[in-house]
Order: sequence, then structure tokens, then C-alpha cells
Amino acid sequence: MTRPLGCLSGAGLLAGVLAAVIIAVVGAAGSNAMFSPGDLNATPGQAQVGGISTHSDLSHQCDQCHAAFWDGDRMGDRCLACHQEVAAELAVVSGFHSGFAEPGNCRDCHTEHGGPEAALTLAEISNYPHDRTGFSLRAHAPMAVGGAFRCMDCHPSQLREFSPVSCLGCHDELESGYTQKHLADFGRECLGCHDGVDHYGAAFDHQTLAFRLLGGHQGLGCSACHRGALTVLALQTAPTRCLACHAKDDVHAGRLGQECDTCHTPQTWTDATLDHQLTGFQLEGSHATADCLGCHVDRRWSGIPTDCLGCHKGQDPHAGQFAADCDACHAPTQWSEIHFDHQTSSYPLAGAHLQAACDSCHARGRYVGTPTSCLSCHASDDEHNGQFGQDCSSCHRPTRWSEVTFDHNRSAFPLVGAHLDIACDSCHAGGRYVGTPTSCVNCHASDDKHNGQFGRDCSACHRATRWSDVTFDHNRSGFPLTGAHRSVGCANCHAGGSFSGMPTACSACHSEPQIHQGVFGQDCAACHSTSAWLPASWNGPHTFPMNHGDAGGQCSTCHPSGYSEYTCYGCHKHDPAEIEKKHQEKGIPDFSDCTSCHATGKEDGGGGGNNGGGD
Amino acid sequence: MLGSRELWLAGLAIALVSGLYASASALTGVPAASGFLGHSLGVLGFILMLSTETLYSLRKRAIRRPWGRMRDWLRFHIFTGIVGPYLVLLHTAWEFNGLAGVVTLLTAIVVLSGFIGRYIYTAVPRTADGIVLEAEALRNEISQLEAELRATASPAGASSESRGTSAPIQTDENAAGIGWILGRGPEEIRDRLQTWRRGRGLDRQARQLLTQKQAALRRRRQLERQIASLSTARRLLSLWHSVHIPLGMALFVAAFVHAAGALYYATLLR
Repeated sequence: MTRPLGCLSGAGLLAGVLAAVIIAVVGAAGSNAMFSPGDLNATPGQAQVGGISTHSDLSHQCDQCHAAFWDGDRMGDRCLACHQEVAAELAVVSGFHSGFAEPGNCRDCHTEHGGPEAALTLAEISNYPHDRTGFSLRAHAPMAVGGAFRCMDCHPSQLREFSPVSCLGCHDELESGYTQKHLADFGRECLGCHDGVDHYGAAFDHQTLAFRLLGGHQGLGCSACHRGALTVLALQTAPTRCLACHAKDDVHAGRLGQECDTCHTPQTWTDATLDHQLTGFQLEGSHATADCLGCHVDRRWSGIPTDCLGCHKGQDPHAGQFAADCDACHAPTQWSEIHFDHQTSSYPLAGAHLQAACDSCHARGRYVGTPTSCLSCHASDDEHNGQFGQDCSSCHRPTRWSEVTFDHNRSAFPLVGAHLDIACDSCHAGGRYVGTPTSCVNCHASDDKHNGQFGRDCSACHRATRWSDVTFDHNRSGFPLTGAHRSVGCANCHAGGSFSGMPTACSACHSEPQIHQGVFGQDCAACHSTSAWLPASWNGPHTFPMNHGDAGGQCSTCHPSGYSEYTCYGCHKHDPAEIEKKHQEKGIPDFSDCTSCHATGKEDGGGGGNNGGGD
Repeated sequence: MLGSRELWLAGLAIALVSGLYASASALTGVPAASGFLGHSLGVLGFILMLSTETLYSLRKRAIRRPWGRMRDWLRFHIFTGIVGPYLVLLHTAWEFNGLAGVVTLLTAIVVLSGFIGRYIYTAVPRTADGIVLEAEALRNEISQLEAELRATASPAGASSESRGTSAPIQTDENAAGIGWILGRGPEEIRDRLQTWRRGRGLDRQARQLLTQKQAALRRRRQLERQIASLSTARRLLSLWHSVHIPLGMALFVAAFVHAAGALYYATLLR
């Protein structure tokens, strides 16, 4: 920059400051009137408002309308402070300014500073939102006599004022007859119902409403249903229930409720088409062709009982046993058409019962409470004389008595073996079944060859097949059979049929042999086994070696005649003559007791004798 | 015509805006100053006037960091200086009350002053970039023009008249007064009128020759006039600045206050 801008030169700045000062001074002196874009309206109003008659009286009091922005008021608030009639309109529902005007939007329609004679209303009056007053001008575009409406046509005195007389002037000319009748029906408060949109005018179509006009309703005048309605709300809340208008037509005297259209159409009261099913009682069978008055005696339409006996009580052959529920068994076509299913009852029929006549069980027409126990009917057929109680079916099928399902094996005495083939009365003599004793002896006492030695339970030893099929195990007795005992006949030991109390000592059957010479006592088993008497084994004291001379335990080699004595000469080495010769040679005279000198069987030893010796 | 393109553009802009304004007036009446169109005109006009006042001056001083040609800035300056005040005039809605009226009046005065200034400004010889030429440079250019004139054959029937207008004038820098400066316009118009009359009877080639020669003669005379009125023109331009700048400052101060007042009363105080 070579030099400052011209505006920043001394003359420029001075001029700027000077201009600012001048403006400030003029503004202060004129209360900022210099900002006014034009003169205020000077046309006097009808009356003074706020102490003035024209806005121009406030030409130098800008703050009367223009509140400082920190003041909280808006310009509209200042307007309404003077124009209180407008403020009152804003506070109510209807009125010239109500519905759209508010303090914040006065300037949308009104202006000022246009000059002393300029209009204060900026908005075109034809654009006035007439809908917001609650009455639309939509249906009033052309007048009845032609041409467009002017405000004064309806508001001849004041825009704020309206009289229904204005309506009548045109509408009487437009359609006089209808208007007069309408006046007679609904009065003169047109705005009570009409909103100018023609919702309820000539274009009104009742068929678009929830209550469409059908049949006889179509020819009626409005007041027939809407009599006395002077508001839209009253029109809209006209009752839609049939009886609200047709109470006088109700031949049923209200007994069938309010909904006439359940049976009747809007065309005519007659030709009612009742769907009897809707009553909860469908007409079927004979009911469909029965005369209405057959049930609805004396034209009594409501409160008719729907249970069968309500009408058929006099025809009940069951004397009321089944209460009122006839259709549980009978079809509605005719009484004889019965669909009772005994199988669904508490006593399903089976076997011979299916063929039996009803009165076989239901004597004298008694159905309810018929006992279901067998004996209640078959007491005379009971061959068991009541031994088995009331329930025959536990043994007999219902087909016939002979078809018995009794299973003896499920009783306390299952039949096995020979019992299966014998006749019942073999055991159940005299038809006695209950309490038949189950012990063997009760039937087989005469067959007891043991004479009662083994008590009453034959099965402890005998199978039920036959007596000889014995299951007795001697080994489980006190004397198990071993060895040779197993092959001997029972009678060998149990002579005379004696089985119990038999001694178990050997000597009870076996007498001591001669050879023992009473040496070993009664305990045979000390030396013998049950397999055979021989070989026997001696485990007792034996001072002489038992295997001397390869005797091999053969007792008879040394004891050929008895065990109380012995001989050494049984062996070929002991020739008595030779022995005698040798002993004689050695000067041993007594050599009869060999072991006294030859205690160990050796020639030189063992003995305590004095005979010296050796063999 | 290229030399006055900004005037044509300004005229076109004024015609367009006038059409818009006339249409709006026909539809809804004269657009109120406080309406959307009125406000738009005022705001845009004020911005253009502010541009007129500042941008060209700033460019003239931005020697070290020039941006754009000075001639273009001058054209823009002229364009905004014409269109801006016109928009402001339309913004008034033809009501001139209070401060707004004062602003409009000041606008008119400043615009008129601007035209006068422009007229005086062009009396001071400058280069295409606005640099003031001194008398010596002007004399050199006159010498070159006279050499061209001598080399140019005069068309038949035009030599005597040409000589009449090519008579040299006093070239002393202080020889002429204010009349020389303010009267150059009418003289130029007369000169152009004479050239046109003389050329009517000539054939095409002779007419072109005449036009060229007349242009050189006009240029010589213009230079001679500028030399003769150089000091006077400078004094006059300085005087104009002394008046125009304070007027402009007063205008913009008043315009700012007016805008602030309008903003306050018409916008903040709803």
C-alpha cells in the first residue's frame, strides 16, 4: 500500500464521524422517527383506542408500538394492548381473528407507515382464512343468483358479525320448499350443523356413513331420525340402534332385545328371516318343521328353555331318569331314533349281554342307577353260592357261563403234574371252592405210606406227577448216602417203612465182624469207608511195623483169625519148624510171642526179651 | 465498443432488474422496501456500492501484490458503481422518508459526483494501468503521431478539413483552464460528427483512410489538450476527491445506520 484508502483519509474520517453525530442527534431529538419508513395512518377509527383516534397521533412515540427488544413485549403485544377487542377474539374459539391470529403474526396481515391514508390491512381480504372461523367458504364460491360472494353479502354490518338471516335470504331463493321444511325441522341456527364445506348440504351422502340408509330408511326425511338435532354433534350421535326409533313397532315388546336386524331387514318388518341357530337352539329334525308356536306358546319368544324336557316333559317315558338331556340318546327326528351307545356308558355290553333285551337288566324301565355287579342280575345263576362274591367276570366270560377264564395257576394252589388231569370235584368236593385246604394230606391222607412221619407236606419229597417221582435228597438229610450206601435199597435201612428217627451209627445196621473180636468198638468209620469194608485202614497204635515183610497193610497176613492175636508164620519166611530150630539153637525156649523180642520185626532188635534172637 | 463494455453490461443488468421489478410491481404492486424483493434489492445494491467504494481503491494501492488487471478492476468499479445505486433506488419503493430518504439522496449525490470525477479523471493522461503520464511523455507521443500523419495520404476532398482540425494548440501545461477540461466532450462529439459528414461522399477506401487520419488527429488534439490542461486537471481532480470522499463516507455511515435501524425495527422487534 502506498497510501491509505480515501475513506480513511482525514476528510473521510471526519465526514464519517460528523455524519454519525448528526444522525445520533437527529435520532435522539426525533425519538428515532427518522427510521420511520413512512407516515402513520391518519384515518380516525370508530372510537378512540388507548386515548388516540389514529395511529398518526403516535408519530413521534415509536416506543408505543416498537418495544425495545429487551422489554419482552413483541410488537403484537403492543397492538393488542390497545386493540383489546382483538385480544378478546384471540381468547375465544370463534371470532374474526380467532384460530389463526396471535400476537406474533399481526404483521402478516397488517402494516403501517404506508402514509396517512394507506390501508392498515396488508392481506387481501379474499384470502382471509375463513375456514378458521369454523365456516368454510368452499361451498359458497358462486352466489345463488350468480356472481362471486363479497364479504358484505354475509356480513352486511360488520365483518365480525354474522346473522343466519344472511343464509336464509339466499337459500330460500335457491330452494324454497326444502329450506322452509329444513327450518321447520332444525330451526334457524344454520351454523350449528353447517360448516360451509357442505358436509351436510346438498352433497351430503348418508351412504358414506357408518349408518347407511337402506330399504325403508331411504325415503324418510332427516328429522324422522334426527329430530331435534341442532348441532353436528347431535346429528352424529343420533342413536343407531333399531329400537331407538322403532320401539313403537316392536311387536315383541322388547323381549327379543334391541337388534331387530338380526331377523328383520330394512326393507320390511315382515318376511323376517330368523336364523334360529343364532338363538343358541338350532332347529333340527322334527323341530325344523314344527310350528313356531308349538314351542313359543302365546308368542313368547324369549326365555324359552332349550333343554328337551322344557317342551317334552309330558312325553318322557323315563320318568325323568335322564334329566333334561334327551338328545343324549334320542335324535331330534323322532323319539324312536336312538343313538344311545351302551358302550360309552359305565357298563359296556359284551358277549351274551349284547343280545339280551334291555328290560332283562333294566326291569320296569329303570335305567339310571342300574347296578353293574354281575350278581345283581345273575344271583340265581350262581352255582358257587356266593363263594366268589359279586364279580363273576373274574372267572367267567360274558359270552356264556362255561367259558371260564379262571386260571388255577394264578390261585394260591397252582395245578401241576397229576393235579392237572383230575376232575375239579376231586379236590372241590361238594362244589366247595373257597377255603379249599392246600396241604397235600388233606386229599392224600389215605395215600400216605409214611403214616404221617413226614408231616403234611408231601411235596417236600414227592413231585406232583406221581408218588414215585421223589425229590428227596438223602444227602441233605442227617445221613448223606455215600459209597455203598447209595446203591442199597431204601428198605435195607428203613425196614418196616420207618424213615424218621433212624439211627445214623454204623452199628445200627452193621454188626461187628468176628474178626474184630471186640477190639475196635462201634466206630467202623475209624478204619472203614462207606465204599467198601475193605480195604480198611488202621490209624491207631500198632507197635509192630505194619509194612513189615512187605505186608502192605494186609491185616490178615498177621491177623488171620482175629485182631486180638497175631501170627508171624503166615509169612513164608517163618516156617515154624525152622523158627523153633533156630530158637532152640539159641537157647530160647519160649518164642511164642515173637514181638516180645522182635518188636521192630528185626532179628536183633527192638525186643526186650531175653531170648536173643534174630530171624 | 470494447472500451465501454462495462457500460453495456451495466445497462443489461439494469434492464434485467427493471424487468423483474416491473413484473413484481404488476403482480403485487410496488415491492415494499421491507419485503423480500425490496430487502434483496437494498442489500445487494449496498454490497455493490460498498464494492465500488473499496475494491478498486484497494487494487490501485496493491502495487506489490497486484491481482488482476487494473483496467478490469476499473470496469468492475464502473459496473458496480452504476448498478448498485440503481438497486438501492429500487429498494426505496419510491418513498424517501427519514434517514432512508437521506441515504437515497446521498446515494444520488455520490453517484453524480462519481460521474463528474470520472470525467475529470479521464482528463489526466494515464497508462493502461492507470499510471499518470507526465507532459514529456505526451509530447513524445505527439511527435510520433505527427510522423504518422505526414506519412498518411489525405483522401480526396478531405485534406483541407483535416488540416483545419489538426491545427496545433497551445501545449503549455498551465495554458488551459477548467473549460478545456469540461469542454472536451462536446468538442469530441462535434469532431466525430464532422468526420461522419465528410466521409458520406467518399468511397469505402477513402472513408477508411479518412477515419484513420481523423482518429490520429483526435488523438493528437487530445494529447495536446491534456498537456495544456494537465495542471488544471490535477487540481480539479484533487478538489473532487476532497468533496467526493467525505460525501461517500457520510453516505456509508448513514447507510449502515439505516440498515441497523431496519434490522432492529423490522427484524428484532417482531
